[in-house]
Amino acid sequence: MEPATFARALGRAGGWSIEDYLAAGGYRAARKALLEMTPAAVLDEVKKASLRGRGGAGFPAGLKWGFVPPGTDRPKYLCVNADEGEPGTFKDRYILGHDPHLLIEGVLIAAYAVGLHRAYVYIRGEYEMIARRLEAAAAEAYERQFLGPDVLGTGFALDLWVHRGAGSYICGEETALLESLEGKRGHPRLKPPFPAAVGLFGAPTVINNVETLANVPGIVLRGAAWFLGLGLPADGGTRLFGVSGPVLRPGVYELPVGTSLREIIFTHAGGMLPGRKLKAVIPGGLSAPILRAEEIDLAMSCEALVCAGSMLGSGGIIVIDDRTSMLEVLLRAARFYAHESCGQCTPCRLGTNWIRKIVERLAAGGGRPGDIEELARLASGIKGRTLCPMGDAAAMPVLAIVEKFTSELEEASCRS
Amino acid sequence: MPKLTIDGRTLAVAEGTTVLRAALEASISIPHLCWHPAFPPEGSCRLCLVEIEGFPKLELACSTAVREGMKVRTETPAVRESRRRVLEFLLADHPVDCPICDKAGECKLQDYYEDHGLTESVFREEKERRPKNIDLGKNLLLDRERCVLCTRCVRFLREVTRTGELGVFERGVRSEIGILEGRPVATPYGGNLVDLCPVGAITDRSFRFRTRTWFLVSRPTICPLCARGCAIDIDHHPGLPRRADSAGVFRVRPRPDEAVNGFWICDLGRYGYLDLHRRRLTRISWNRGGPAAEMSRAKILSVLGGKIREMAVRGRSSRLGLVLNSGLTVEELRSVRDGLLSRLPEARLWFDDPPPGEDDGFLLRAERTANRRGAAGLGFDLAPFDPAVLGKDLDIILVFGGLSVGKGRDEVLGQALASIGTKVLLSPVETGLEPAFDFLIPTALPSEKSGTFINVDGLARSFEPAIPVAAGVWPEGEFLAALAEEISRGA
Repeated sequence: MEPATFARALGRAGGWSIEDYLAAGGYRAARKALLEMTPAAVLDEVKKASLRGRGGAGFPAGLKWGFVPPGTDRPKYLCVNADEGEPGTFKDRYILGHDPHLLIEGVLIAAYAVGLHRAYVYIRGEYEMIARRLEAAAAEAYERQFLGPDVLGTGFALDLWVHRGAGSYICGEETALLESLEGKRGHPRLKPPFPAAVGLFGAPTVINNVETLANVPGIVLRGAAWFLGLGLPADGGTRLFGVSGPVLRPGVYELPVGTSLREIIFTHAGGMLPGRKLKAVIPGGLSAPILRAEEIDLAMSCEALVCAGSMLGSGGIIVIDDRTSMLEVLLRAARFYAHESCGQCTPCRLGTNWIRKIVERLAAGGGRPGDIEELARLASGIKGRTLCPMGDAAAMPVLAIVEKFTSELEEASCRS
Repeated sequence: MPKLTIDGRTLAVAEGTTVLRAALEASISIPHLCWHPAFPPEGSCRLCLVEIEGFPKLELACSTAVREGMKVRTETPAVRESRRRVLEFLLADHPVDCPICDKAGECKLQDYYEDHGLTESVFREEKERRPKNIDLGKNLLLDRERCVLCTRCVRFLREVTRTGELGVFERGVRSEIGILEGRPVATPYGGNLVDLCPVGAITDRSFRFRTRTWFLVSRPTICPLCARGCAIDIDHHPGLPRRADSAGVFRVRPRPDEAVNGFWICDLGRYGYLDLHRRRLTRISWNRGGPAAEMSRAKILSVLGGKIREMAVRGRSSRLGLVLNSGLTVEELRSVRDGLLSRLPEARLWFDDPPPGEDDGFLLRAERTANRRGAAGLGFDLAPFDPAVLGKDLDIILVFGGLSVGKGRDEVLGQALASIGTKVLLSPVETGLEPAFDFLIPTALPSEKSGTFINVDGLARSFEPAIPVAAGVWPEGEFLAALAEEISRGA
C-alpha cells in the first residue's frame, strides 16, 4: 500500500529533527498554505477532505474551524489535545515523539486558516520525554521562522506553548482541558457556550486532537480529493490504529479509514499469539462498547462502528483472548472510571463508584442474584445524563460487557 | 417575549430566560440542587433534566434558554425516572441521618425523595464513611457524609464575597468540600452558607440540635441593624405546652429582595439581631433606688401623662426632652411629630443614633439604624447628639433606646441625665443604662411590630409583625398613641 500521511516518519531513527523533517519534504504544505492560499481556501480544502476528529468524537475538523467567529477583536486560541488518556490508545505519542514537526506544521496551517496567533499543546503529563522532544521541535521551528512573530516572512504571527497535564483522564475532555490550561481544577464546563464561541480564557477556541492536525499538511499539499481517496466519502484519510493485546505484532498501524477490523487484527497485527483464541475486541479505546469475536467483520469508520453499536473512538484496538476473564476486564474498566471521574456531576461521581463496588464484590466471588442486571441498570442511569461525555464513556463499556458476556460474568462471580 | 409551553401551560417569558426560571415564575416546580438564582447554571446535580420536544435526550432546565414555541414536559415517566435515578445515586451514598439532622423538614433531598421515591434502598454495598463534624470557621460545621457537592457554598465564597475560603478537593467519589489548612471561613457573610446548603451538610453551631425545623414559624420582616434594611425572615418557635423553654426566636435568615440585599444578609444581622431577641426588657418598672418596682401600663401612663399634660397646659413644653433614634419606624416618628409635638410645640428633640460603623462595601452600611432616610423625610433634624447639651432646663426626658450592638456612650449619657427630674427609658433590650433612669418601658423589636423603614437607597419597605410581641412589651407606636391621648385628656 502507498505510504500515506505518517508512514514516512515512523520507524525512522532520529527522524524528529527539523533537518530530517525538511529533508523529507516537511513544511512544504505550510509554505503552500501561507504563501499561495487564502485562509478561506485552506479551510475549504479541509472541509472538502471530510477530515473527522481523531480524538474520539469524530467531529468534522473543517466544520469545527468554521464555527470560530471570523474578524473578532478578541484573541483566538488553538488548543491541541495531546492528553491521550483513553486506555488502549497510544497513537498520538507516535506523532508527537517521532514526527513533532508534522504536528507543528498542522498547527501552523490550522492557525492560518482560522486566523489565530496563539496555540497550546496540552500534553499528557506522563509523556515527559515526548513533551521535551516537542518543546525542542518548537524551538527549532521558532529558529527557522515556522513559529514566531513573522512566520515565513509573511507577517503572520504564531506562538506555541507546550503545557503538560498532571495525569488526569478527564483533562482530555476538551472543556476540562481548557479549565486545566487556565490553571483551574480540570472540571468539564457546561455547554453551551461551546469552545468555538467561549473557550480558553473566554475567547473563541479550536480544540483538535494531535492526529487530526497531523493530517492537515497532507490535505493541503496533496488536496482533499487525494485524502478522500484514501478513506471513505464521509470519513476521509487514514487513521492510526493502536493494536494491543495478545496479538503477534501489537503496535500502531496507519491504515485507510474503513479497513476491516478483522484485517487489522489478523493481517496487520499478525493475528493471535499461538494457542490463543480471539474472544472480544474493544475497537476504539476502553470507552468503546466491546465487540464479540464474531462481530469484527466491519469497516473501521465512524458510521460503521456506530451501526455495530460501538464507536471508532480513538482507534485504540484492545484485543482480548480466551484466557482473559471478562470479569477482570470489567473490573479494570470499573475501577478506572470510578478513579478518573472528576466528581462534578452526580451520576458519574456516585454511579461509577457504585458500579466499582459491585464489580469488586463480584471479582471477590461474592456475586448475588440480580447483580448483573443491577450493573446494567446503574450504567443506564449514568448514560446520557451526565454533564460531559465521560458518563457515557464509563457506562457504555459496562453495558456492553454485561449484555454480551452475562453468563460468563455470572459464573465467574459465584466461584466461592 | 418568546412563548413556550410547560406541561401544557403557555407562558411568555423574557428573552434569555431559562426553562427552569420560566417554570419557577409560573410556580411549576422542577427539582434542583446545584442551581440557585444568584449564580449562573452549574448543571452538575442533574436533577432538573426535563423533556423538550425535538431534543433526543433529556435536557437541563437550569441552563437551557427558552426558545419560541418550545414544548417542555416536567412530569413525564422518563423525567420522573431520571430524577429517581439521580436521587438514588445521591441517597446511596448519604447517611440518611434525618432524625438527627438540623435540615430535616426543609431539606431538598428529603423533599424530592418524598415526591419521587419513598422506595426501599437497593444499595447493598458499604457506604463511604466521611468526617461528620468539620469546623469550617465561624459558626459553620461541615458534615461530608451529607454533602451532595452542589458547590453552592464554594461558588458563594468565590463569586459573592470573593474570599474563596472553600474549595473542592480530591476527585470522583472522594471529592470533598474543604478549607485550606489554617484558612477557615472568615467572611462576615459566612452564615449564608447554611441557608445556601440544600441539605444538612453545612450547619450552624448556634442552631444545631436546638429544635426541629417543623416547629418553627417563619415570617418576613426587616433587619434593623444598619441602613441597608435587609429583607429577612425570622423563625420562631411558638412554644410547646410541655416545654416551658421551647418558645423563642431561633433563626434569622435572608429573604430575597433583589433591590436591597439580593439573597444574603451579613452575620451582624443574622447573629446580632438574633442575640437582641435574647436580651429583652420585659417589665415596666419604676426605679426607686433598690429593687425596681413593676408598674402597670395604666399607672405609668397616668404618671407620665399627668406631668406632661401639666407642662402643656402651663406652656412649659420646652422642659420636655425627647431623645429619638432613626431605628424608629416612619409611623412611630410620624406619631411623635403629629401626636406629641403638635401638643408640645416647644419640646426639645434630639436624635441619638449610634456612631457610624464600618461600611463593608457590600451590604453592611456605616449607618447602623434602618430608617435615617425615613426620619429625614419627616423633617427631623438628625444632627449628631451630644449628651452634654442635656441640662437643668429639662424636667422630663424620654429616651428611646436604640438597637446598636455594643455601643459605648451609655456612661456619658447616664451622667448627663443626672440633673433631670423624670427620666424615662423606652428600650426593647437591656442596654446597661437602666440604673440611670427612673422609669423603664420595654418596647418592641422591629420583628414584633409593623411599620416602614426607608433604607439608604431610599427604598421603602413595610413590614408586619413577624413574631408575637413578647410579654410585658409595649410597642412604641401604641405607647405614643396612648400618651398622646392621655395628654389630650381634659384639654
